[in-house]
Formats: sequence, C-alpha cells, structure tokens
Amino acid sequence: MTSPARLPTNAPFPPDAIAALNRVIEHTSPTQRSWLAGFLAGYEAASGTPATAPAVASVVRPALTILFATESGNSEALARKASKDASRLGFAPRVLDAADATPADLARTERLLVIAATWGEGEAPARATDFMAALMADAATRMDKVNYAVLALGDRAYAQFCATGHAIDERLAALGGHRAAPLLECDLDYDAPAATWLGTTLPALRGKEAEPAPSVIHVDFGAVGGEAREWSKSNPFEAEITDLVNLNSSRSAKQTVHVELSLAGSGLTYLPGDAIGVAPENDSAVVEAVLDAAGLAGDTALHAALVSKHDVTTLSGHVVRSFAELTGDPSIKDLAGDPERLADFLPGRHVVDLLTAFPNKLTPAQLTGLLRPLPPRLYSVASSQAMVGEEAHLLVSAVRYQAHGRDRVGVASTHIADRRRVGDRLGIHVKANPHFRLPSDPATPIVMIGPGTGVAPFRAFMQERDAAGLAGKSWLFFGDQRYTHDFLYQLEWQDLIERGVLGRIDVAFSRDQDAKIYVQNRMWEARRDLHRWIEDGATLYVCGDQTRMARDVHTALRDIIADGAGIAADAAEERLAAMKKQGRYLLDVY
Amino acid sequence: MPDTNLPPPSKTPALSKNEGIKARSRALRGTIAEGMGNVVTGALAEDDTQLTKFHGFYQQDDRDLRAERGRKRMEPAISFMARLRIPGGRVSPQQWLQLNEIARERANGTIRLTTRQTIQFHGIIKGNLRPALSAVNDALLDTIAACGDVNRNVMCTSNPHASPAHAEALALAKRLSDELLPKTRAWHELWVGEERVAGGEPEEETLYGPTYLPRKFKMAIAVPPQNDVDVFAHDLGFISIVRDGAVIGYDVSVGGGMGMTHGETDTFPRTGDVIGFCTPEEAVAVGDAVIRAQRDHGDRSVRKHARLKYTIERMGVDAFRAEVERHLGHPLAPAHGASFTGTGDHLGWLQSPDGTWQYCLFIENGRVHDLPDRRLLSGLRAIANVHRGEFVMTANHNLIVAGVAAEDKAGIAALLLQYGMEQGMSALRLASMACVALPTCGLALSESERYLPDLITKLDAVMEEAGLRDQPIVLRMTGCPNGCARPYLAEIAMVGRGPGRYNLYLGAAPDGTRLNKLYRRDVDEKAILEALTPLLHEYAAGREAGERFGDWVIRAGHIQATTAGNRFHEDLPEAVAA
Repeated sequence: MTSPARLPTNAPFPPDAIAALNRVIEHTSPTQRSWLAGFLAGYEAASGTPATAPAVASVVRPALTILFATESGNSEALARKASKDASRLGFAPRVLDAADATPADLARTERLLVIAATWGEGEAPARATDFMAALMADAATRMDKVNYAVLALGDRAYAQFCATGHAIDERLAALGGHRAAPLLECDLDYDAPAATWLGTTLPALRGKEAEPAPSVIHVDFGAVGGEAREWSKSNPFEAEITDLVNLNSSRSAKQTVHVELSLAGSGLTYLPGDAIGVAPENDSAVVEAVLDAAGLAGDTALHAALVSKHDVTTLSGHVVRSFAELTGDPSIKDLAGDPERLADFLPGRHVVDLLTAFPNKLTPAQLTGLLRPLPPRLYSVASSQAMVGEEAHLLVSAVRYQAHGRDRVGVASTHIADRRRVGDRLGIHVKANPHFRLPSDPATPIVMIGPGTGVAPFRAFMQERDAAGLAGKSWLFFGDQRYTHDFLYQLEWQDLIERGVLGRIDVAFSRDQDAKIYVQNRMWEARRDLHRWIEDGATLYVCGDQTRMARDVHTALRDIIADGAGIAADAAEERLAAMKKQGRYLLDVY
Repeated sequence: MPDTNLPPPSKTPALSKNEGIKARSRALRGTIAEGMGNVVTGALAEDDTQLTKFHGFYQQDDRDLRAERGRKRMEPAISFMARLRIPGGRVSPQQWLQLNEIARERANGTIRLTTRQTIQFHGIIKGNLRPALSAVNDALLDTIAACGDVNRNVMCTSNPHASPAHAEALALAKRLSDELLPKTRAWHELWVGEERVAGGEPEEETLYGPTYLPRKFKMAIAVPPQNDVDVFAHDLGFISIVRDGAVIGYDVSVGGGMGMTHGETDTFPRTGDVIGFCTPEEAVAVGDAVIRAQRDHGDRSVRKHARLKYTIERMGVDAFRAEVERHLGHPLAPAHGASFTGTGDHLGWLQSPDGTWQYCLFIENGRVHDLPDRRLLSGLRAIANVHRGEFVMTANHNLIVAGVAAEDKAGIAALLLQYGMEQGMSALRLASMACVALPTCGLALSESERYLPDLITKLDAVMEEAGLRDQPIVLRMTGCPNGCARPYLAEIAMVGRGPGRYNLYLGAAPDGTRLNKLYRRDVDEKAILEALTPLLHEYAAGREAGERFGDWVIRAGHIQATTAGNRFHEDLPEAVAA
C-alpha cells in the first residue's frame, strides 16, 4: 500500500481548498491520479494554455531503495525527505514500506537506505513485524549485492533505544550486505542529525560506479514560496486557544480537557486521523527543583531556558551515563555501569531524582548538556476541518501520578490543562498520519475502538462523515472509568446516533461495578455482530493506550474471529495480520 | 360497578397524561426493555419513567451537577432511586448484609431508611439497575409497587416482640402487601430475566384494572398506644383493638394523606376519618374494598386531586363508607376507639415480654453511612455478621436491632460502642425527621436531609438555654410540600419554598391526631430562629406538667388548632393571613 498523495500547505490554493483537494486525492487510486493528471494536462493543452514541458532525466540514474518501518509516521516522513534529497543527488529513489516488503525484494537492490523506528520497549513497528520475522529467519535471502545504511529512530526514554535499527543493521551485515555508512541513532530531535547523516551517507551509497549527477533541475515543491510560513516542529505556529474545558465531571478522578485551537492565518490544514504536535513548557516548580538539585537555584536565565527548551524530566540510561562522565562521581559510575541496578533505578524516576540522589554542583552548560531538547507531544486531532473550518480540536488527558515520593505530572498535558487558559497560545504543528484514514469508499463499514482519549480521531471521523452527509455503517466502542462522570462527548454521540451518522455505540465503564469492564469485554459480548461486520469488509480502527488496551483489544479480535469463523487462534491471528497489511486493521496507539 | 347516584369524580373530563401512559403500558411494560438497551443515554423514555415507579424506582439526576453538565457535553447526571417493598420493615441480618452489598457495589454506598419502614438505594445508574434489582430478588425481597399508583409498602408499629398484637400487626402488613400486589409479571420479566409466557396477553389486573389507581395509596397498622406509624396520615389505617391481650379487630381509618401544593388551597394535608371496625379475618377484604372504591371514584383528571382524601372530601365520608361496604358485602361494625401517647420510637435498649432485647438505633435523617465518629454502615454490617435476631426499620427512619437473646446483648452493645453509634443526642434531634430532597429528589425546592442537622445544632443551643435539652419536640423538615417526612403532623415543621426558605408550621398534636398550621411564610434560617427562640423560652416558663409544645402553642394563643384537613388553610395567624 503506497501512501496517498497530499498537496503541500504552500500549494497555490486557499487552505480550505487544499484541505478539500487533499480529502479527494487521499481517497484516489494511482490509476485515478494518473487519469486526473492526464486530464488536467490535456485540458490545458486543448484550451491552448502553454504547458510547461516536464523535465526529463537525460541519463540513467542509479536506483536507490528507501525502506521505512514506521509506527507514528516519523520514519515515513524522513524516508520521503531522504527520497527528495536522493533525487536531487541524481538517484532514482523508490520509497518502500516494510509492511509491503520482503527480504527477497531487498536482496535484488544494490543500494538500500533503511529508516527504522523502534517502538515502546524495543519493539519493531506493528506494520513491520512480518518483514522483521522474515529477515531474521534462518532461511533469509543473502544480501551479498546490497550496499546499505541504516538510520535508526528511537526514544532515549526507553531502555532498548533504537533496537529495531540495530537489529536490521546487524542482520544485513550477517547476510553478506556491505555497510556503506555507520548506523545513526536518533532521539526524538532527529531532524538535524538525520539531515547531516543523509548528506554524507547518500553519496557514500552511490559508490564508485555511480554516474555523475545529472544536469537536471529538480524542483523541490516543499521549498517553493519559502517566504510563506512553513510551520514545523522546529517552527511551531502559535495557535490561540479559543475554548478549553475539562470534559470529566467535577466528581471524576480524571481530567480530560477538550481544547479548541484557532488556525486562522496559519494556512495549516489537516485531515481526520492526523496528529497535532504541541510544543509544551515545563512546570516552573519542576524546573526550580532541578535547578535546586544542581546547585543552580536563582539562575533566572537558565530557568527560562529550561522551562521552554529542555526536557527536565525524562531520565534514561544515557542521561545517567552522561552525568557519571561529567561529574566523575564513582557512585554514579557504578550505577551507570550496572544494567541491572539501572533497570531498577530508572522506572518512575525523573532527572530531579538522579540529581537529588547524587548531589553534584553543575555549571549551567553542564546541566543543559545533560538534557535533551524538550520534544513536542502529539495528540490525535479530534475534529474535521470539513466541520470546524480553521480550527483544530484536541483531547488531552492530564497525566498525574505519584512515584518515589513525589507528585509527577505529564509535561505537555498539564501545560495545557493547568497552565493554559482561553486566549493563551499553544505552539503547534501538523503531523500527518496517512495510515489512519477513513476508508476511501464511504460504504465500507467502520469499527472504531477508542476508549479514553483514544476516541479523539473518531470524533474527527464522525465530523468528516457528518459534514459530507455520509451515513456509512459505523460502530464505536468507547470506555472510561465511570459512566456518569467520564462519558466524553456524550451529548455529541447522542446527537450523531439520533441522526444516523453514527450507527451503533457500545460503552464500557470499568469502575461502575466490582468487575472491571473494558471495551474488549463489550466487543466479546457483541462478537456475533462484530464478526459479521468484519466478514462484510469492515475496517477496524484502534486508538489509545498501547501497552494494555491495544493488546487486549487485539486478543479480543483474534478470539472473535476464531469464534466466528470456527478457526484456531493462530489462523485468526493470520487473518488479522492480513487485514493489517490490507489497511483494514489500523492502529493509532501511544 | 360504580354507584350512579354518586357525584362525578371531576368536572374536567380529560384524563391526566398518566392515565394514558398506564392504559397503553401492557401491564406496566411500556418500552422499558428497549430503553434499557440504549447505552448512549443514562435515561429512560419519559413515559417509561412514570411506569418504573410501579417497579419501585424513580429516575432522578444529581442537581448539584446540573450547571456543569452541558458545558462538559454530558447529559444530566442521571441515576435511579430504588425503593424496596418490605412490609413492616423487617429484614434478617443476612438480608441486611445483602442490601449493604447492593448499596456498596451498585448504588452510592449508602442505605437510606425511609419514613415508611423501607430502604432506598440512591445513585443506581442504568447499567446497574438490572444487577441491583436482581440482587434484591436474590435477597428474597423486591421493589414491586414500592412507588406508583398502587398500594405501596404496608407499615405497622415496629417492634414485633412487644406483644402478640405487634406480631399480628406484622403478619397483617405482609398479607395486605402480598395480596393487594399488582398481578403483572413485568417486574420479573424486566429485572430478573423471567421468561414471558408464550403468546401472552398482558395479565389481567383483577383488583386494579388496566389503569391501576388514580394516585398512590398507603396503608399502616398501629398498635396503640404507639402511633409511630402516624396511622392517620395514610389512605387506609388499621388501629389494633386489643382486649385481654388478644386482637379482636381493627378500627378503620380512611382518607389520610400529607401532600399539597403551595398556593393552592384546594390541596391540603388531611388526617383520616375512622369509619368503623373490622375483625382480623376481614382486614384484607376491607383493604380490597377501599382500594376498589378509590379506584372507581378517585379523580383521574387532575393528579393533585386524585388521592383518596379528596375523593372522600368530594363524596362525603358516609357515601364513601357505603361504597366500601357495598364492595365488602356487609356493613362495618361501629368503631371501638383508641387513644395514643406519641409518634416517636423508644430509642435504646428495651426488653420484650418474650425475654429478648431490642436496641432502637437513632439514624439521623435515616441515612446509613459512615461518618468519622459515627460509623453506621460499618457498625451495622458488623452487627449483622453476629446478630441472630432481625432488623426492623421504624416509621421514624430509625432501626431496631430486634430479638437479641440476653446472652448476646453485651456483644451487640460493645459493637454499638465500638462504631460510635451510641452517642448522646438532644431530645430534639432524636425526635426529628427529614426527607431526602437535594441533590437527588426532582421535586425538592429546598435542602432538607443535608441541612436539618445544622439547623438542629443551632436550635439545640436555644433549647439548652431555655432548659429544654431533654424535652422532645417532634420536628420535621421536607424540601417540598409533598410531605414525605409527614411534616404536617409535627409540632414544628419546615416545608421548603425555595433555596434557603421554608414555611414554618406549628401546633400538631404529639400523638399524631391533629395537623399543624402555617405560622410564618418564606422564612430563612435567621427568621426561623428569631421566630422559635421566644416561643421556646415562653414554653419553658409557661408549660404545664407534661404539656407538649404542639399543644402549648395553641393554648398560649400563638396558633389555632387545625380541626380538619379542609381547615388547614383557615384561621391563619395575622403574620401570614392572605
């Protein structure tokens, strides 16, 4: 499955036109797009408007396969950027999703660039699990012809940093491949290091036999109109908050805020399924505690920098090792060098706990050097522009808990829930999620499983269908703690059900009775209907908590298919895997 | 057949909305089953909420949360109040434990004892209704006819061990309740999964007919000299007549009732009229006959005029008695007459003639819950775990730990002490009652249960100053004029008018035979205290030996006696006249 085309935000159309065109183009097949391109060109020709002659490469360009394994879309975005760079350098790049690739495909290529994400506690992205299994299999095809380089994406907050990238890198070498450049490990702030690495790695991949760069001018559409504002992670748009309300009742144990942001003047567009990245700020009190622990209390300039630029909470083995090095403190070195102790120490602890446990006076530069840049937090957008125009709605659950004797909070969620008011601004950028879209055919039934904040994209889906006047078959599973106090958007679902936009809703509230009832329990209760929907070609969407919900929902789906089709669990698992590959079982989990 | 010589029930021909809902309901089924399957709302269809009352529960919402719900994109915080049918208020310790579990898991964690000897669960959400009612059924209890236009829970004087007459009263309460129950199986089908008989037409309601009664119907049995049940406050009252230790029969009172509407003087509370005497064997037949007479002659057009008391006012008591006797098939014997000493409970320990002990536990406002220093819920659970007798809910929303063998008494006493349940309270507090009101009752105009304890603390100071700490005065508060805590039979009553405002009534007889009268209108706490303080001081100084406050205010000329329900709004003091 190739990723759908999208107009860039600086295309020469007004934002709503871009969104409208994207909505059409997204649901087109390659044949349809070719026809459209031909039709428009033909039309221009027939109407006598001189069309610009397309630039044609005059020489054979070396083929480059860019393989990506993505969960959140970062690897894919980077692969597309690499493809553009490679094109400019004279390659004929082909971007390939690991979900659609086999090791045998790769063995035939001479130049391979791999961009692989690591997910959660060291796992490969779900869409790439088949590929990884085939690559690791004893019978895997030899890679003797292949010159390759691997760019690994990860998050240092997790123990198995960049594990997937390393596994691929080592396996390709073991299968006889030639490593053209050393692997690059990237944390959440991957833009700059990745660009630098690509700058040296792409030429290295071309090798000796490569042709000189062709004298063809390639137009980088992304850079056209550079004076137009191009909002990004590093250049967020400061969106005004026009509404902010806690949707949980005042009796709830939870706080889930609905945030409405104005995109007016930004030109930003998004589609249901996309995410909005929010640039958070740290809680001033946490920054103060860190400064205090580092012996830097009272440094107001540093305080300001730490509030907005540095991740002052996330503690990883990398931070402990850096801290050990810069202080030379032997007791920290002991900890850093002992993986078992480290595995005991890290969970639930933050930077301030490390600094407090091993008091060392640091210089401002030492402290900031220890901390990674403050990453943006992604939220699945909860609205459709077809319904809300130049607005984006987010659903943000305030994270609060206790660990190691301190009250802890989620940086971005409490920044929004506690420290922002209507009229304040939030730095945002749009992060496309092309793998989480409504089916192109509105007649395809959809099953949406989204407990808690996982319901956000499904509100966007329903708004999209509502605005288009489409009442396809749809079924929502929602869950939370208590019916009376945590039924997010209840009145909206009532209205959608009443008007037939949403066909069915089932709800699970875990704390309304002794027995914990979750969405997967409701799915199992409705297994006959659910299996019929799957047989009828429904697309399944799961959004929300990855570690428990998505797994339990997956198991329930497997059991429901096994039960409904009268097949073994393994066979049901294969059907689900096939559905995943067909884009009929889609996950947006975090 | 109704007697054609009688006046028509109402001048307005159109039937009230509820009559149509009942008629269309297929014996109380309506579309309740469909509504239970609609998970996107916590509510049932509006018409069905009238029918669920017959099943024992009301749809309510938490009024404290109303303001925030819309903005949070949530419907009102809807839940249900389920009321049990417990004739005579008696449950076993095992049943108490089961009820405690239902409250904990399926309701709001509290048990509310009512003024009609039963319990209510509050805060049951729709998804918990079936499990809750099914668990009630498992406890060999039900909620059938606990609300609605039918004969509701039947009350009786509360200590079954006090005498054979008391035991007989309890037995009669059960018979009246069971035999006058609606015949529909709707409750069993909807809540405990009983299969509908194939091809079944709705059951024939041989007593009630397809539209049941025009309005609610209440019965109580009193064993003189105790009038704890306020026998004259009910549609039908039985007063035990005991001769030589044996019950020879019952004086029959009809047409009592509390509810009225503010500002409408054709609505009023009324004490029942004694219309004759029946033998114990006839009692259920009398109940049946009174229900039939009210079924045929009650007003089905205007619900606020539909109670039996208005039927009797309209027909006249003699014509009504004749109608009852026609259904009964013979005349009622002349009443024997009985007198009462009071409406309260005997709190604390008391030994019964059979040698067992009972402890009547004061439950402030009937709410069984754990307070920091008075852990009623946990304490009663602990007692239920060891108690070998029974629990009896009283008409004053207190609870009797009854049938305690002499050798078990010390153990129960220790638990009462351990959980802080045996605490000294003023006589005023111990004689007080309040209805639920805010936040769950949809009818409440003012606070009641949540506010009365604070007001009593302030009145206690006045009582203390006046030297009245140990003087009981029956004090009752309700959040609206419908009268759940029987306010119009209290020596002092506050009836809600609006937020923080009450009508103040004085002068009911302490034995429950005379209604009170409006003394001040629309008063807030300050004005209540300003009105009562001088009266209490004057009463302390001027009362005669044994004279109760409700009688004294009349003798001292502060208020005129209400001699009949239809005189309730007459002879008002100057401060509130017109």
